[in-house]
Amino acid sequence: MAGHPQKKPDRHFDFGRLNRWFGISSLALLAVTLWMVLADYAKPWKQFQSEFRDRERQVLLQQASAERQQIDESELNQLRQDISQEEDGLEASRTEIHELKKTLGKLGKKIYAADSASRTTKSLLDTARWEYDRDLQEGDEAAIERARQRVDELGEEWLENRKAVESLTEQRDQARDSLDQRQAALVDAESRLAALLQGFETLEQRAANLDKSLSYRLLNAPLLDFMNPDLKIEQVMLPGLYHDINFTKVERVDRCVTCHVAANRVGFDGEEWEHPFRSHPKMDMFVGSSSPHPYSRFGCSSCHGGLDRSTDFARVGHSPSNEEEMKSWQKKWGWEPQPYLETPIYPADYSEAGCFTCHSAEVWTPGAELQDTGRQLVMRMGCFVCHKIDYPAFQDLPRPGPNLSQVAGKTSSGWAFQWITAPRDFRPTTWMPHFFFQDNTSSELNLERQAVEIVSAVTYLWEKSASPEYPPPPPGDPRQGQVLFETVGCTGCHLMDAEAKRDDFFPQINRLHGPNLIRTGSKVSAGWLYSWIRNPRQYAPDTRMPDLRLTDREAADITAYLMSSRDPAFEGLELPEPDPQVRDEMVLNYLRNNETIEQSLAVLQEMSAHERNVYLGFETIQKYGCWGCHDLSGFEIAKPIGVELTEEGTKPLHQFDFGHVHDVPHTRHDWIRTKLLNPRIWDEGKEAVKNYAELLKMPNFGMSEREAEAVVTMVLGFTRESVEASSRAGQTTRSISLVEGRRLITRFNCQGCHLIEGQGHAIRTSIEDVGMLPPNLAAEGARVKSDWLFEYLHAPGAVRLRPWLTTRMPTFGFSDDEVNALVSYFAAREERLAFLSDPARPGARELVVGEVTFNMFQCAKCHPAGPQEDLGAGVGAGDLAPSLLLAKQRLRHDWVPDWIRDPQSWIPGSKMPANFPRSPDGGYTSPLAMAIDTPMFAQQKERMMRYFSSDEELKAYLGDADYVTGVLRDHIWWNLED
Amino acid sequence: MKKISLLMVFALIATVLVVGCGGGGDQAAAPAQQADSAPAAAPGPAATGSGTIEGNAKYINGDPDAVIGMDADPVCASLHPGEVHTEKVVIDDDGNLANVFVYVKSGLEGKSFPVPGTAHMLDQMGCQYKPHVSGVQVGQKLVVRNSDPTLHNVHARPKSNKEFNQGQPFQGMELEHTFDKAEVMVPFKCDVHPWMSSYMAVLEHPFFGVSSEQGSFGIENLPAGDYVLEAWHEEFGTQTVEVTIVDGDTAVVSFDFSPGATASAG
Repeated sequence: MAGHPQKKPDRHFDFGRLNRWFGISSLALLAVTLWMVLADYAKPWKQFQSEFRDRERQVLLQQASAERQQIDESELNQLRQDISQEEDGLEASRTEIHELKKTLGKLGKKIYAADSASRTTKSLLDTARWEYDRDLQEGDEAAIERARQRVDELGEEWLENRKAVESLTEQRDQARDSLDQRQAALVDAESRLAALLQGFETLEQRAANLDKSLSYRLLNAPLLDFMNPDLKIEQVMLPGLYHDINFTKVERVDRCVTCHVAANRVGFDGEEWEHPFRSHPKMDMFVGSSSPHPYSRFGCSSCHGGLDRSTDFARVGHSPSNEEEMKSWQKKWGWEPQPYLETPIYPADYSEAGCFTCHSAEVWTPGAELQDTGRQLVMRMGCFVCHKIDYPAFQDLPRPGPNLSQVAGKTSSGWAFQWITAPRDFRPTTWMPHFFFQDNTSSELNLERQAVEIVSAVTYLWEKSASPEYPPPPPGDPRQGQVLFETVGCTGCHLMDAEAKRDDFFPQINRLHGPNLIRTGSKVSAGWLYSWIRNPRQYAPDTRMPDLRLTDREAADITAYLMSSRDPAFEGLELPEPDPQVRDEMVLNYLRNNETIEQSLAVLQEMSAHERNVYLGFETIQKYGCWGCHDLSGFEIAKPIGVELTEEGTKPLHQFDFGHVHDVPHTRHDWIRTKLLNPRIWDEGKEAVKNYAELLKMPNFGMSEREAEAVVTMVLGFTRESVEASSRAGQTTRSISLVEGRRLITRFNCQGCHLIEGQGHAIRTSIEDVGMLPPNLAAEGARVKSDWLFEYLHAPGAVRLRPWLTTRMPTFGFSDDEVNALVSYFAAREERLAFLSDPARPGARELVVGEVTFNMFQCAKCHPAGPQEDLGAGVGAGDLAPSLLLAKQRLRHDWVPDWIRDPQSWIPGSKMPANFPRSPDGGYTSPLAMAIDTPMFAQQKERMMRYFSSDEELKAYLGDADYVTGVLRDHIWWNLED
Repeated sequence: MKKISLLMVFALIATVLVVGCGGGGDQAAAPAQQADSAPAAAPGPAATGSGTIEGNAKYINGDPDAVIGMDADPVCASLHPGEVHTEKVVIDDDGNLANVFVYVKSGLEGKSFPVPGTAHMLDQMGCQYKPHVSGVQVGQKLVVRNSDPTLHNVHARPKSNKEFNQGQPFQGMELEHTFDKAEVMVPFKCDVHPWMSSYMAVLEHPFFGVSSEQGSFGIENLPAGDYVLEAWHEEFGTQTVEVTIVDGDTAVVSFDFSPGATASAG
């Protein structure tokens, strides 16, 4: 160590170099800091807000100038002249006014001083009284006397103080009045000027507030904008609406209006306002503070999806509608796909998907028409039977297909083979999908395998089916049958149209509630058909087909008509023999699932050919899930075969298998849409590689583009998003009644015949005369009594309310639960109580006036009010309007006067005429007051005069529409009893 | 004297009725106006001319019109001593067809015509609408009167205009209405008497006519130009014909609704 030649340096670094590096890095840090500040300052949302501010200011200035032009120049000049004249006039008495103002000021001070003195005295007085009270209790006479004197003295003093204050106040008021008088004319002119300019000035002031003044520039300058900037992130907290971030949920905080600056403001919807400067297009339904979905409660992202907190265009989850839009976004905003975002913003075409998060219990959601159609399609096509969809709307639904437990008695096995092979060949409008002969099953061997599968499935069905014998029906007249078919009500649910395609009826899915009955004669036996239409529940106890209470004659005629629709191509078909080799190979494959190879062979050897067919049939029905739509024995407890769809809308994108298909954009909606249009597409190029059992097997529904779009809108709504019960739709007793009613209305297709909630009357395609359509039920809950409706729905055949209608309300065989739900629905719909008590019997006068007015209006011309005369079809009372003898038990007494006053407001197009003209104040008037003086009513007048003291009184009553409609009801209620 | 005061009473009733009528027209009180079922070509400044169309409608070998049974309302039956026929197909022995509505269907686009100050009257008399076929201009006042001592209801069932259905229980009652959209045809019915019907065309212009019992019709004061003329009949549908109008001249057209026949202009 010692003796080292070199001098040891006292430090290992160079100060000069260190300083240089320190300088450079400081500068770099400064630059980066500035860069950061500027980058933050240049955020697009700030630019949007700044630009919008400018544009809004421009608009306000334009409005202000338009407003200014509206102002009458001469009036303005006159007012200004008046003001300056007054001011000149006041100039003359300037010293005087000055003096008055000075006096006012002095008096004000004096009043303050006097008032303070008075308050002090008052508090001393209160103390003295307390002491007096104490001394009285203690009983010291001298002290009592002293205290009493003090109270008296202070009382006097306080009184004097008050007098002084009051006198000063009076002086001040006089001075003020005198000043006001002198200035009155000026003040008046000034206030009129202000009123004239108010609109203009308000607009100008609003524009001035948006001016980018110096203070605005300072407050929003880089680095200084931390204090109270105008350009800032706008957000709304949404309690009760959650965003799932794995393992926990956070409440939503919406920042969308930071960029979409006008989304929650009214008035920015002209063409000049492009995104993001537009108002929401449906403010009365969404966003608006008085709408059902106010912005403060639901924000934006709870419906539209997207990342609620983000303010970055590229990351928030905007979904382009098409490739062109995507490219422009990429260029302009650096947009990129967000494959890991669970809920991207719904593309414009599917924006109704978001409704389902809260409206998942409903059968239909007013305003979400496309999603509603999607929901109907999911129910009608039976998606929910193979795919579990765990929402109330899809619970307890009826099976979409017919019951097959007695199918052998209905048709032939050869027809069934042909039908299953290609259902749409026989009936193009059918909901039954094509299971076989699809894109991924086209090899020669697979074609043979499918033929074998169909044959064995039919064999199984026929093996398990009961085969009741149906005797041939009595002969019927097909022409008469056609008339009946088109008029009695069949066409509310069924078509008979060889040209019809399913897509023609979109979105009126209920037009295809029952099958299109073309070619019926080539499908079923006449005996079965006759038995079926007379009593559908005998063949299928759970069918939705109601009983029209047809007579034997009518049933025979309709049978003859339906059997006359035939197609020879579908007649005389035989069930083919399956290829034994292919069949045995398939049976063996199924057996091997549970047995060893050797055992399987042994089991196969023991089976007869028929047993093998039946066995394979069972496995085939299991494989394709036929039992989900059709009731058939042997499958009562089977589980759904498809993928659960409950959270399909938020399923991670990487779990969607696009196979070898490369021209479909990688988004959820494109995958679902493509799959719906061709369910086997993801097997493209895989048929040779996959085992037969592994091939995709979702059947092909032959969906149109529109149908697919509707279903995608529905499926995208199945998400993990969670919402507190209080934010969900359908939570009140009333909405629960509405939902339950609508569920039944959809299930039984009430709108096929009736108009309910503005939808329905599907039957009008075969009944052209509006007057012959089944009733519009718009006001049913307000119109009829719940107990009457309950009985009627149970047994509609017991009474013919409208004998002129050819249609017939069928017997649906509702359960008590169902009828109760319907009755509650109608009452809830009209916001009426379920039950109400009868009115008290009115006095003799009301009954007499009721009878007279009833006759004057000639109500009985249309309404039978006594035993009916038979005058022939379409003529005379009884063929025009319901009998009034039913009114008391059927109608709600509080509704009847309202109805008589203005029938068209309840049921537009009603045959019932308006008899009470509207008065200018919006009420109703009665024409009787004037008519009563005509000679032809002399007798009637005399009859009524007994109850009125004067002519004027009678006319006052007869001119009162409320009174007259009330007594008309009383007459119907109490005089018409038979 | 008594009659006059009665009329006034009903005019007043009509006022009240009409003010509040849900039918939608702006209706005000008016005394009974002279019915003018013949179309009066309004004297307009530039839009009228001196051309005339005359013509005739035929239906050869038609069946006589059906008899109406009015037994359902004894009041109606008592108003007719003899048989009453429907007014659907009214033909004389030579096949001249009445109640054909003839109007200028196109060729007047872009022109406007003043609305006649006179009201058009639709009467209910003998439980039939009179006239059975007629026309009004958009905005022209229509008065519907009940001249029968029985209940009628005036139920207009237009497609573009607003539907209305007004009861008239007393003889002499009137209601007023104006249609605000052009529409050929607006059907009128009475729900009390199912046989009652009337058809009323609502047009933007005054160039229309209805064939008489002799089958003849005329349209006057047409400006010169090329037009498409349409004839409408309740049972036999429509026929169109093209005509050229020269000022001061008369164009003659004929419509033959017999099977296989057509319209012609000469």
